[in-house]
Amino acid sequence: MSIDVELFGQLMSNKQRRQTLEIASPTLIREVVNRLGLKEDEIGLITVDGVQSEPEDLICPGSRLCFFPPMSGG
Amino acid sequence: MKLLCVKMNQLQVEWDQVPVAYEHLGGRALIAKLLLEEIPPTCDALGPHNKLIFAPGLLGGAGVTTAGRLSVGSKSPLTGGVKETNAGGTAGDTLGKLGIKAIVVEGQPARGNLYLLHIRNESAELLPADELQGLGTYATSDRLQEKYGKDCSVISIGPAGECLMTGAGVATTGERDQRSNHAARGGLGAVMGSKGLKAIVIDKPAGKSIPFADEELFRNTSRAYAQKLINDPKLGTKGSQHLYGTASIVAAVNEMGSMPTRNFSNGNFEQADDLRGEHLRELVLARDGKVGTRCMPGCVIACRNQYVDEKGMPIVGTLQYETIALVGSNLGIGNLDDVARLNYMCNDLGLDTIETGAALGVVMEAGLVQFGDMEGIVSLLRQVEEGTALGRVIGNGAVTAGRVFGIRRVPVALGQAMPGYDPRSLKGNGVTYATSPQGADHTAGNAFGARKEVNPLGIQGQKELSLKLQIISAMLDSTGLCLFARPPVIADPQIMVDMLNGIYGWGWTKDDLDRFNRDVLRNELEFNRRAGITSADYRIPEYMREEPLAPHNAVFDVPDSDLDSVFDTL
Repeated sequence: MSIDVELFGQLMSNKQRRQTLEIASPTLIREVVNRLGLKEDEIGLITVDGVQSEPEDLICPGSRLCFFPPMSGG
Repeated sequence: MKLLCVKMNQLQVEWDQVPVAYEHLGGRALIAKLLLEEIPPTCDALGPHNKLIFAPGLLGGAGVTTAGRLSVGSKSPLTGGVKETNAGGTAGDTLGKLGIKAIVVEGQPARGNLYLLHIRNESAELLPADELQGLGTYATSDRLQEKYGKDCSVISIGPAGECLMTGAGVATTGERDQRSNHAARGGLGAVMGSKGLKAIVIDKPAGKSIPFADEELFRNTSRAYAQKLINDPKLGTKGSQHLYGTASIVAAVNEMGSMPTRNFSNGNFEQADDLRGEHLRELVLARDGKVGTRCMPGCVIACRNQYVDEKGMPIVGTLQYETIALVGSNLGIGNLDDVARLNYMCNDLGLDTIETGAALGVVMEAGLVQFGDMEGIVSLLRQVEEGTALGRVIGNGAVTAGRVFGIRRVPVALGQAMPGYDPRSLKGNGVTYATSPQGADHTAGNAFGARKEVNPLGIQGQKELSLKLQIISAMLDSTGLCLFARPPVIADPQIMVDMLNGIYGWGWTKDDLDRFNRDVLRNELEFNRRAGITSADYRIPEYMREEPLAPHNAVFDVPDSDLDSVFDTL
């Protein structure tokens, strides 16, 4: 049981851009943040299957989780 | 300060005192008031009674970082309502330094000749410019800088503007050989063409600076403001806006399902990976191009790039998000080199990449060219250059293209093409597209940055959010600030108040500034009302309410009653 994780922008530096992480059951996004060694204040947007999410939300196996740095509009 | 009135019917220029009613106005605010006072609202936008205005913002010329944008305004031939569109480059700052509150171009020359307005310090003259006829904006700028000096500012139109195509914009030059700045929207290039005005050249004034009412207040505040931008995690030297430019948001907008794809038929483009700002940066640096360049001297954000080909030869002065979305994913193009080439072609023709990208998307849905067929798209743009019937259809924008080819899916609001966010998955932007007096415009109140405040896929709170953002945009566009430089003045509007008081000595409070911002929208809405625009026009196209957009299967479901009441608390 796993999730696909992708990092964008500056969050990619010194880290693997795409990876698959094993999770047993619904897990707090915050736990994934910690496993990846990310800092919450460096994250501007989290999406789970394209839906904006927060560190305290749960992520289920089979989902796609993306982390973006703080961004401005186009 | 003074107004430079350019009378194209008499081929004369005249310096006027600034009327009292305009003294506290600049940029978009001045345009809104001047339209309301001086332009018959039902006039033909391409006829002799419309006026074309070039105005720096209230901070123009003062040396505030990121505040030298040039506003161009007129009644829009595309929306039939008020239009302000702005660009970087050096012209806005230079006009401010010269104490020129606005250039107001009126009337039309008797024959179809072209003219050039040359401004040099306190003098201005109209000169014949027939030799520039048919030249693209790059060649026009090059030729005029060869003649008038490398450091002059050039404002110009390309063949699209000359041919009165309503997708035409206005180009400005930056420092040295910097190009590719466009006040692109609303078809104001066609208005300039209708005045027979091919270009404006403004010589760089030597050592000019504006007078300050309270220089210490101004200097302290503007310095603190610049520092806040530098410290902002989005904008400073480690921020995504600086590192990856406006294209930093490609992946996020795509992931959120709002990326215009194949004529706005999907919110997710399968090749978006290759259009990301991160990829753009890698590519440009590997080819010895430039990233972190500026459109305005002294900008501390520096979000531009110089996009080069595989041999390191420049293709376009900057490749930006909206262009990547509209002539990239919206046309099924998943390659930045191709996007850059299309961008260059549009820039040179003097066409808005948003309007033209949307028009091309409509034409491609009609089957003239397959999505993703780069050569086919290039051949369509060549037809614009040649002035064929099909080329003129495309150059006149998405509504015209839809009508000619019988396509219902035309992504516009108030006749103007939507920028790079499908409103079904970013509903706050849909409210702004529908209700802004400017038509569908990402700079009129972009909700992407407020995604944490209001759920982009929900209905609740969207109209309140849009109003708040539209009021902020009115301030930015009236002071000459780039919209990316907004965080410090949103967090603390006193910064803006102090900078303005430092320059002008008005003794404004935050309430005065808020009233000023709201008055911009009030004047614009009133002009549109008098022009015959009603609530039935402030709408999102019907198909976007009925056809679900992948991947979220979202429709635009903010009720009309919300759209109609956005400005109830203005």
